[in-house]
Amino acid sequence: MPADSWPTWETRARITLAVHQAQSEQALRTLAALGLPAVLIEKARCVRLRLHNRLWRLLGLDMELSDSPMEMFRWSVAAAEAMPLLHHLARALDLRTPGNGTLYAQEVRECAALRPPALPALPGLAPPTGHLPTDLTLITGIQSVSGAEDTLPRLALLLGAGVPIVSRGQGAGVRDRLGLIRITIPPEKELVQLIVPTHDADGLQALLIEEGRLDRPGGGILYQTPVRAGLMDSLLRLGRQEHAASLEQIIAAIDDLKQGTTWRKRVFDGRPLPGRRPTAAGTHREICFVCPDGDGDAFVQAAMEAGAPGATLSRVQLVDLTGQAESRNMARERGIICVPAQREASLLEALSRVLAANADSHGLLQVIEASFLFSHQAS
Amino acid sequence: MIWTYARQRLAEQARAVAFIVLYLVLFQLVVLQTVPKGAGRVAGGLGMVVVGLAFFLEGLFLGLMPLGERVGQQLPQRTTLPVILGFGLLLGVGATLAEPAIAALQTGGLTVTPWDAPLLYRLLETEPENLVIAVGAGVGVAVAAGMLRTWFGWSLKTLLFPTVGLVLGLSIFCTRDENLATIINLAWDTGGVTTGPVTVPLVLSLGIGVSRSMGHRQGTAEGFGIIALASLFPVLSVLLFAIALNHSTPRPASEAEFFAPANREAARRLVPTDEKLARLAFQRGSETARRALFPEATQHAAAIASLTMPAVRQALLGPLALEDWLLQRASPAEQALFKEALARQPDGLAHPAPALGGVVLSAAGMAVRAVVPLVALLLVVLVVILRDRPRRPDEVLLGIAFSWVGMTVLTSGIALGLGPLGDQVGRPLPRVFRSVPQEEGRLLLQPFDPAAVFPVYGRDGRAHPHFFLQNRAGEPVPVPFDPARFDPATGRYEHIVKRPPLFGPGLSLLGVALVFLFAFGMGYGSTMAEPALSALGRSVEELTVGTIKRGGVIQAVSLGVGLGLTVGVARILYHLPTVWLLVPAYGLLLVLTWLSEEDLTGFAWDAGGVTTGPVTVPLVLAMGLGIGNGLEVVDGFGIVAMASVFPIITMLLYGLLIRARQRQSVPGQAAGEAGHAG
Repeated sequence: MPADSWPTWETRARITLAVHQAQSEQALRTLAALGLPAVLIEKARCVRLRLHNRLWRLLGLDMELSDSPMEMFRWSVAAAEAMPLLHHLARALDLRTPGNGTLYAQEVRECAALRPPALPALPGLAPPTGHLPTDLTLITGIQSVSGAEDTLPRLALLLGAGVPIVSRGQGAGVRDRLGLIRITIPPEKELVQLIVPTHDADGLQALLIEEGRLDRPGGGILYQTPVRAGLMDSLLRLGRQEHAASLEQIIAAIDDLKQGTTWRKRVFDGRPLPGRRPTAAGTHREICFVCPDGDGDAFVQAAMEAGAPGATLSRVQLVDLTGQAESRNMARERGIICVPAQREASLLEALSRVLAANADSHGLLQVIEASFLFSHQAS
Repeated sequence: MIWTYARQRLAEQARAVAFIVLYLVLFQLVVLQTVPKGAGRVAGGLGMVVVGLAFFLEGLFLGLMPLGERVGQQLPQRTTLPVILGFGLLLGVGATLAEPAIAALQTGGLTVTPWDAPLLYRLLETEPENLVIAVGAGVGVAVAAGMLRTWFGWSLKTLLFPTVGLVLGLSIFCTRDENLATIINLAWDTGGVTTGPVTVPLVLSLGIGVSRSMGHRQGTAEGFGIIALASLFPVLSVLLFAIALNHSTPRPASEAEFFAPANREAARRLVPTDEKLARLAFQRGSETARRALFPEATQHAAAIASLTMPAVRQALLGPLALEDWLLQRASPAEQALFKEALARQPDGLAHPAPALGGVVLSAAGMAVRAVVPLVALLLVVLVVILRDRPRRPDEVLLGIAFSWVGMTVLTSGIALGLGPLGDQVGRPLPRVFRSVPQEEGRLLLQPFDPAAVFPVYGRDGRAHPHFFLQNRAGEPVPVPFDPARFDPATGRYEHIVKRPPLFGPGLSLLGVALVFLFAFGMGYGSTMAEPALSALGRSVEELTVGTIKRGGVIQAVSLGVGLGLTVGVARILYHLPTVWLLVPAYGLLLVLTWLSEEDLTGFAWDAGGVTTGPVTVPLVLAMGLGIGNGLEVVDGFGIVAMASVFPIITMLLYGLLIRARQRQSVPGQAAGEAGHAG
């Protein structure tokens, strides 16, 4: 493969679908029926509030967090195929009902070692029905597991921002520079993903930073990436319900009627953040790579040499949907690196060199614009 | 930075150990009303346990588990199925040889006699090497079967149901033969004992690695389940091995028959040397055995007298302490004989205490045996066959070193601290429920004035001689006078201080309840400190992204072990056949398994195998032996088997509970169907 013609970058839609573990077989069947060759699966959990009576109602209601096991499916399609696909999935998996899952598409620039074929004509695809919100933003928070204790998910729920999806990862990069002393720093990270209406994103992020104490050393990072379209899970509360419909169901219904979320724009009090304000829109990039498990170190090392501040690696699994591939190499690693926009070019060059070196290994690079990156280090 | 890190790890382990230590001390103070002996030494030992656990666990997480997972991931990619199966077999056999499991079983079988249970004796004492091979073969086949399962993505349940059925069926078959019936408990215990603190995390991470690489969606249970199979297959292999040996093994006989010179030919088949036979007569036999072995009275007396010499005593009594021998094995006549001989001895008895250096040295040797062969096997396979290397070689090497150091410090800490503490409580435990007063110590009254003896009249109108003695509080208390203990020539009277039974005669309800409570707390507390369980809990938490928490797993399994120990002790107290307990327990288990999801099945069944580790086994054995000795049962086996079943039950229940709570947030099946229809 000649070096000048490769890698090629193209704009595609990265689709993320998160459903309860018990529904994931159904989701896989639906995806397989569409002719998708393979998807990446990551284990996750989603956190909700559960209301329950304390001591036979004597002490009133108590609120606790309730986890449910989720699986996140990720794949990418040509940008034009994204919207019909979202509409189809929303219907097939009944994602408009609160609690059934989260689905969103993001536009990324992608460079793949092996390009999956475009989807066939999707004969089963019904004409789009209903509204698919397009004014959404993904807030991603990466925090150390030890000491975090679900601070971000709890806050997100209490602020009514949405149902957070939490997955696990390992910090890499900075830690490796320390030599053996690194074992004293636990590498386990939690990745918290939260879909919020775009107009509320900044305000919610500010609250998350302030009340989640992210402005302290080791607090973690928080940033926004744009979402092309999606459906957010709004079943925030479980347990006792006083009315025929929960507030979340009513909100979902009005969103649908109003064809958007702007009607519920919040007003945040304009207190400035302690310390530095988060950076402005479009100043950063989230670079994401997928590679066979074990090869992630090469990517991280190349990225660090090119000036990346660090990376977070998660373990994912490639699942073949065609039922043909006899591969015994399905373990994958997915890495996330956040860098300022001006370092993007050098970093991508370094990473694509690693990708080209392992061209036969189904590697993948994706870049998306990131805004309002906040970390203690940055401030 | 290092300090914070170390403090966190130590605090975590201190919390894990705290329960069992407090429990033991409280039990000793409140129920047994004795004071812990050698407090300083015990405290030092406990400190070592905490440090050892912290090091060992860190070693597991840094070195052993990443190594195992790496090998597991690379195996399916770079080799073929036969190679993997061969590797599984080798790993299983190696793991069995590395674990000090057989030593633990032999300790448990300290009271097994070749006359009551010849087949059991033959397995444990005459052919222990073959027993180890049988167990190793079982574990090896289990690991290979586990790999096969992950390779093809079979459901764990399809393997578990027939295996359990087969093992239970074979056990029931064995109850029909008087010789085979004695080894059922042993067979079920090997299943629990073989999977130790090094094997479990390695095999666990190996399975996770293979499973990740294969990428099956259905029925993988994340590569769990190998430990469960490695707990079941050895039961099968030991039962089969015993059945094969049965026809060439003598039938059970009475003690006198066995030691009679006429039977020497048959006895030789089990006990090859005269020396060994003598040792048996002393360590496990009663006076009948010794009289049969030394038919002449003078020979018998000489043999008893030879016990005063430390070297002979060591040779004859082995691990049995002299005091215990006098109390449990010797008849009153023999006690008198021994006392006579002791009186002729000018300097009395010397008591050697175990030296710290010796303990640590032997622990270090054992740790090398437990860690090095398995790690070496994995490293060789990784580097030579798979042509790969660990992801972070320095971390892995440090981890291996940590686990060796941890294992050494942990086992010496247990030998010096936790073991003796458990012993101090477990040994006198029969006092709680038995009505016979036990000797606590002897007082030498010299010169004793026979004029101080006065009569006390009983209800029958007869006079019993008594004299006054001060009790601990300094108050005069009348105690019975035994003329046989008074030596008029020297004016010496030997008074035996007896401790009355704590709770009245017979198997009192309160006494039995206390023993059950003790067994429960012992199982619960020691399992919480078990490192393999901690490793399992962490793996489960990681794989479920925290929807099943490590703490919950540890609690559920510890509760299960506590329950299992209680049932196991009840079995010994009420002489219930193990099969009666195993069949319903496994029946319940199969029903629960059938109800559970694949993932939960894997987690739960593996939990049964992790429960018997370096912390539990010495404590449980101390208790089993204490109770077994108190009731003169054949052996203390069967407790570990119970302690392996019940945690599976509690884990499955815990899993079902969690799933039931989580199900509230699962979108109903109806909603999904409606979506399709629409």
